[in-house]
Amino acid sequence: MRMGKTIVYALVSLVICIAYFTAVDHFLMDSQGLDFWYLFRK
Amino acid sequence: MGRVAGKKLFSIMALCAMIGLLLLPIVVSLPSLAIGADAPDAVKKEGAATVEKGRDVYYKTEGIVVGAPAPKTVDGPRDYPRYNFESRVLLWFANQQHLYYGSFVLAVPIFCMVIEFMGVVTKDKAMSKRYDQLAHDFIKISLTAYSLTAILGGILIFTFLTLYPAFFGYLSSIFRPVMHIYALMFVAESGTLYIYYYGWDKMTDGFLKWIHLSMSVVLNVIGTLLMFLANSWIGFMMSPAGVDEQGRYLGNIWHVIHTALWNPLNVHRILGNMAFGGGVVAAYAAYKFLASKTDEDRAHYDWMGYIAMALGVAFLIPLPFAGYWLMREVYAYRQQMGITLMGGLLAWLFIIQATMIGILFLSTNYYLWQALGRMRGAEKYQRYIKYLVFVLCCGFLVFITPHTIVMTPAELKAMGGQQHPVLGNYGVMSAKNGGINVIITTTILSFVWYMRGNKVSTVSWSKFGNIFMGVFFGCAYVNIIWLAIYGYYIPANVRVGLSVPQVATTLSCLFFMFPLNAAMMKGAKQMGAIEWGKISVRSQYALIMLATAFTWMMGLMGYIRSSVRLFWHVNEIMRDNSPWAYTHTVGFAANMISFNVLFFWVSILFVFWLGSLGMKKAPVEVKAGVPGGAPQPAGGH
Repeated sequence: MRMGKTIVYALVSLVICIAYFTAVDHFLMDSQGLDFWYLFRK
Repeated sequence: MGRVAGKKLFSIMALCAMIGLLLLPIVVSLPSLAIGADAPDAVKKEGAATVEKGRDVYYKTEGIVVGAPAPKTVDGPRDYPRYNFESRVLLWFANQQHLYYGSFVLAVPIFCMVIEFMGVVTKDKAMSKRYDQLAHDFIKISLTAYSLTAILGGILIFTFLTLYPAFFGYLSSIFRPVMHIYALMFVAESGTLYIYYYGWDKMTDGFLKWIHLSMSVVLNVIGTLLMFLANSWIGFMMSPAGVDEQGRYLGNIWHVIHTALWNPLNVHRILGNMAFGGGVVAAYAAYKFLASKTDEDRAHYDWMGYIAMALGVAFLIPLPFAGYWLMREVYAYRQQMGITLMGGLLAWLFIIQATMIGILFLSTNYYLWQALGRMRGAEKYQRYIKYLVFVLCCGFLVFITPHTIVMTPAELKAMGGQQHPVLGNYGVMSAKNGGINVIITTTILSFVWYMRGNKVSTVSWSKFGNIFMGVFFGCAYVNIIWLAIYGYYIPANVRVGLSVPQVATTLSCLFFMFPLNAAMMKGAKQMGAIEWGKISVRSQYALIMLATAFTWMMGLMGYIRSSVRLFWHVNEIMRDNSPWAYTHTVGFAANMISFNVLFFWVSILFVFWLGSLGMKKAPVEVKAGVPGGAPQPAGGH
């Protein structure tokens, strides 16, 4: 039960952090007029 | 009652006098700016009929020429009188010493302001008294140094006048509209400093204490303005504005001051001065700690060293980002200048700089890990330190790897080119940005561990908080390294932008994890007291190392910034025609910087000794150790 809670917390944290850092990467590149996804769009 | 009211009135008058001193230079300058009295006589004599216009080299605006062109100097006793010694080295020495002391005396009052404020707002009376004592100790150290700074400033001006009269004459003619403001600012700085220091014991409580604190704000505003004005000279020398291509002043002093590099220089210097000031005070505390004979003294100086180090490092963390901004602006102003700095003639000095920055952060982390030893309950973090060491070393090694190496033809052939097949990959900015951000993030993590060393969170969401914090740091590392690797696969014009999200990632750790940690530690259970004074001797040597590295790096960066002008006194405006208009070898520069550092430290030890002569020790009330309690101050005012 305790382990399950830990996994849930870890997953929730992971989702928040990945979303946050992806947003940081995307928007801060965008604000400079640059495309963060340059390599993936090619 | 009447006496208290008199004191209040007197203190308000003193504060008003300080504000008056602050405003005086501005008021005095107004008429001259308004009527254009700054125009040289020579120009006025030409008559009102001929109004010549010039185009600003930077702002590209048109203005009426009111200044003489930059002198075309020739090597000889008229423009470059000399002793039997290299004039540039003499000037370098005078300039550097003045800068060291200037930085120190500008930084320490800012510390005092912060610490005094902490003392005023702290509800714990004993703690408040300790903060106040500490702030007083800080200002006492800077007071003796202040006199020396003024003397060194005088020596610097005499050196300029004696060895570079043509250049100094031109520079002062350009800045004439604000030269007197600079001088008056010095008067204001001295006046406020002395009122602030000598009024300390007179304004200890309540309203009077707030007045005293306000004085420190005025003092620091004056000090900062003084520095901004001085920065405008070096900004003008590197990226001139407000003059035409012949160097003739066009009448707009704001253009001359507000050059392309002025703001980045201001930010970089404020942060640098603060980090340097923190380092010097921490080294002073470390020295006193090592020389202490009693536990009370050791406790006091351990605490003092920690506070100074923490303040210094708080400004060290954003310093590389300010440096990065400055470099971006240098590239934006003149790409060639940026290439000379980071990819050409001066690139090896940046490798040394990277090494020094690495040493600064390694020393800071080492001190924090040692400091965990003075807390009961912090043992749980000890076993993880080796992982931090590994991460720091990896970041450090990447950060200091040069792009190319100086080699003999045989070595070049054996390696198959200028770049090492493996290590050469780490010599590019993409990798270096990753390296330094990893180092800074690790330092932030060490601070978080230190702050929660002897505490256990009792908030209901502590489990989620701990997991979230761990995941946030983990994701931050991944993002920084991912961006560093990603940079290898995209074109340079896109790659250069990646540094911004990298920096934002590191700063996110600083600005989100510190408050989160503080929220988690609110009302936390203490595992034991912080035993001030019970720290390894090694940690104090780390503080001394930190201060020495700061001093050395300041000397190095000053040299780099100055020598990027190459053979120009004022970039592209006034050429340096002295025999010393060449760039020194890295070895010579390193020796010169080391000499400057050595001289500064020997002289400041003398200053510390002088300061200690006037120190009267108040008897210390020795109390039984209270868990979580801070030490009793060792000295009295």
